[in-house]
Amino acid sequence: MNNRTSMSVPKGASTVRSVSRRLRIAAAVGLGALVAGCAQDAPQNTFDPAGPNAQRIQNLQVPVFIIAGIVGVITLSVIAFVVWRYRDRGQAIPEQTHGKPALEIGLTILPALILIGVAIPTVSTVFALAETDDTECVINVTGQQWWWEVDYPVQDGCGGISAPIVTSGQMVLPVDTPVLVRGTSRDVIHSWWIPRLNGKRDMVPGRVQTNRMQADEPGIYAGQCTEFCGLSHANMRMEVIALEADDFEVWKANQLSDYESPTNELALAGESTFIAQCSRCHQVNGLTDGDGDPIVSRPDLNVYSGAAPNLSYLMTRTTFAGAMFDLLTPECRADVWEAPPDEFGERYLEGVTPECLNRVQLREWLRNSPAEKPMYTDPNELAATNGLPRGMPYLALSEGQIDELVAYLLERK
Amino acid sequence: MFTTGTKFLVGATVVSIIVTIVYGVTQDGVMGTVGLISASVALAMVTGVNLFTRDANIFVDDEAAVATCPASRPAPGPSPWPLLFAIGAFAMVLGLVTVEPMFIIGIVVMFAGGAEWTAQAWAERASSSTAHNSEVRSRIANPIEYPIGGAAIIGVIAYSFSRIMLWLSKINVVIVFSVVGACILAAAFFFAYRPNVKRSVMVGTMSVAGVALVAGGVVTGLDGERDIHVLETAQGEAAAGLCEDPEKTEADSKAAQTVAAQASVAAEITLNDDGKLTKRLNGPAESSALTLPRSNPSNVLFRNESSEKRRLSVDLGETEIGADSIDTERIQVCTALVEEGGVQNITLNIGPPSNSVEGGYFFFVPGVESAVLELIVP
Repeated sequence: MNNRTSMSVPKGASTVRSVSRRLRIAAAVGLGALVAGCAQDAPQNTFDPAGPNAQRIQNLQVPVFIIAGIVGVITLSVIAFVVWRYRDRGQAIPEQTHGKPALEIGLTILPALILIGVAIPTVSTVFALAETDDTECVINVTGQQWWWEVDYPVQDGCGGISAPIVTSGQMVLPVDTPVLVRGTSRDVIHSWWIPRLNGKRDMVPGRVQTNRMQADEPGIYAGQCTEFCGLSHANMRMEVIALEADDFEVWKANQLSDYESPTNELALAGESTFIAQCSRCHQVNGLTDGDGDPIVSRPDLNVYSGAAPNLSYLMTRTTFAGAMFDLLTPECRADVWEAPPDEFGERYLEGVTPECLNRVQLREWLRNSPAEKPMYTDPNELAATNGLPRGMPYLALSEGQIDELVAYLLERK
Repeated sequence: MFTTGTKFLVGATVVSIIVTIVYGVTQDGVMGTVGLISASVALAMVTGVNLFTRDANIFVDDEAAVATCPASRPAPGPSPWPLLFAIGAFAMVLGLVTVEPMFIIGIVVMFAGGAEWTAQAWAERASSSTAHNSEVRSRIANPIEYPIGGAAIIGVIAYSFSRIMLWLSKINVVIVFSVVGACILAAAFFFAYRPNVKRSVMVGTMSVAGVALVAGGVVTGLDGERDIHVLETAQGEAAAGLCEDPEKTEADSKAAQTVAAQASVAAEITLNDDGKLTKRLNGPAESSALTLPRSNPSNVLFRNESSEKRRLSVDLGETEIGADSIDTERIQVCTALVEEGGVQNITLNIGPPSNSVEGGYFFFVPGVESAVLELIVP
C-alpha cells in the first residue's frame, strides 16, 4: 500500500502530461491537415488565378480569409481562455448580473461593421463577375451525363467563324480575349468550373447561363463538374485550352477543314466499321455513305441525353470520354502540359500523333467502355429511359474492329 | 281541466274548421280554401301539442307543480345559430339552381350553423345554471371555433387583398400597397408606443380597416380583374397545321408559361414594325443567323412589336412518312398568335443538324414575307 502510494505520480504532474499529450495530438492533426493542402501538381488551384475574373475572386477571397481567420482566432482564443480561466474548481458561483449596455451594443456593432466591410467588396465582385458586356467571342457549352459539348456559333467574334464548330471535353479560346460562355444542360444540372479562370456556374436544363472566361497566357486549364450529376459525376472533367491568336486561327481552320478519306487500308476498313457501329450517335463531318449522301448521326434517337461527342477532329484534342482519359501517352501529355507558354500552342496543335497515341486506353474504351467509366448502359436496366443508355454502351467489337477503328480515328485531325 | 289558453286554442281550431268548410262550399276560390285549410291544420297542431304536453293540467295555486313544471325553467337565451342554419339551407337550395359555389357555401354554412346549434342545445341541458351551461359550451366549442374562425378571417382578408390587387393596375398596386403597408406599420407603432390608448379606439380602427378591406374586396371582386394577357403557347398550333396561317390560332391557356421558362432564354426574337425579325442574345452580336444547340430544348421568346397579331414559326424541313417513304411531311413548330406588344415562349428541340436538311432551318412569320431568320443547329 505504501509502495503504491510512494510510486504514484503527483496529480498536478499527471494533468500537465495529459494536456501536453493532447496538445501534441492536436498539433499533429493540424499539421496533417495543413500538409494535405500542399501539392506540386495542382491544375485546379483556385489560389493560382490565370485570368482577370479569377484574379478578382482571388483579390476578394484572400482578405476575407484573413479577416475571417483573425476573427476566428480571436473568438476561439477568448473561448479557450474563458473555459480555462473560469473552469469549475469548486469555487463559489460568482455574482450574477444582467445587462451591460455598452458591451452589448459594442458587440453588436463590431460584427456588423466587419460584415459591412466584407459585404461591400463581395457584392462589388459579384457584380463584376456577372459582367459580360465586354466579351468578344461566344462559345456554347452543353453539359450532359457525363461530358461537355463545346460549340462555336457562327459569329464575327473569335476572329470570325463562318460555320459552326463542335467539339467536346476541351474548350479552345484565344488568349487575352474575353469570351462569353453560354451554357446549358441536356439532362440534369451540371456546373462548369475552371478554377484558375473564373468561379463556377451551374448549367441548368432549359436555361442559358453565362460565364466570362479569359486566360492571360497560353496553356491548359483544368476543371471539373461541380454539381453532383449522377454516377460518373467525378469523371466529368473539362479543360480550357488557351492559344495565342495566331495559333487559335490555325485551330479554327483545322476544325473547319474538309473531311479527308482514310489513307491506308486499315483505316479504310475502320471507316466502314465506324459507319456501321458508331455513326448512329457520333458525327464525323463530311462522312458519306456509298451513295455519296452525308451520314448524319442521330444521337437524339439513340442516347438518353440526345447527344454524343462529335469525333470529326478527335485527334486535335488530347482527351476523350468526358476528358476522363488522355489520348496522349504520359510522356507526350507531360510534353504538352509542361510546355512553356511560348511553345505551348505549337505542341498542342500537333495533336495526337501515332507515336503519342495512348493506344492502350483507347482500345480499352472501345473494347468495353462501361467497364472503364461508370455509366447506365445495361440494356436490362434501361426501363426508366425507354431503353436509351446514358453513356456509351458495350458494342461487342472484335479485336480486329478495334484495330480498324483506332486506325480510322487516328486520322481524325 | 283546461286552461283558458287551451280553451282558446281548441275554440280557434273548431272555428277555423267550420269557416273553412263554409268557405269551401260557398265560394269557388281554391287558393282561399287552401289557405284556410293550412290555417286550420296549423291551429290543430298547436292545440294538439298544447294538449299533449298537458301544460294546462297545472293549477295556479299548486305551488309545487308550478315550480317544477317545464315552463318554470329559465328560457334559453336568443341564439343566432338557427338563423345561420336557415340561411345556409336557403343558400344551398339557391345554389342548386344557380352556381356551384353557392351550393357549397350553403352546405358549409348550414353545417356550421347546425353544429353550433347542436352544441348550444346540448350545453343548455347540462344543468339548471345558465352560467355553467355557457362555460360548458365554450369549453367544447371554442377549441374548434377559434382556429376555424381565425382561418376564415385570414382567408377573407387574403382574398379581399387579392381581389383589390388584381383589380388595380400593375403600377398602382405597388403604390397602393406600399402606402397601405406604411399605414399599417405606422398604426402598429402608434398602438405599441401608446399603451394607454382606449380599447374602443383600437377596436374602432381595426373594425373600420376590416370593413374597408372586405368592402373593397367585394366591390373590386364584382368589378373583375384588370386585363391580364392570356399566355398562349405553341401547343397544338403545329398539330392543327396553323404554322403558316396568319390568322387562326389554337391557344392553350393552361399550358405552362412559367417565369422559369421565360428567364435565361436562349434568344429573344422580335418582329419589328418594319417587318424584319431581329434577335437579341446576351453577349456580343453574332452573325445574322441564330445558333441553337442540337437535341436540346431551347427556349426562344417571341416579341411582337408589329401592329397586328402575328406568330413565329420555324420550318425544320421535310421528313419522310409512311413505310415506303414516298410521301413527305413538312415539320414546323410555331407560337400561337401574339397580340401587339405581346411575348410568347417557344421551345425548340431539334435533332438533326441544320446542314443535313435541304435549305436549312429558318424562322418565319406567316403573312410577313420579309420576316425570315436563319437557324443554325450544329
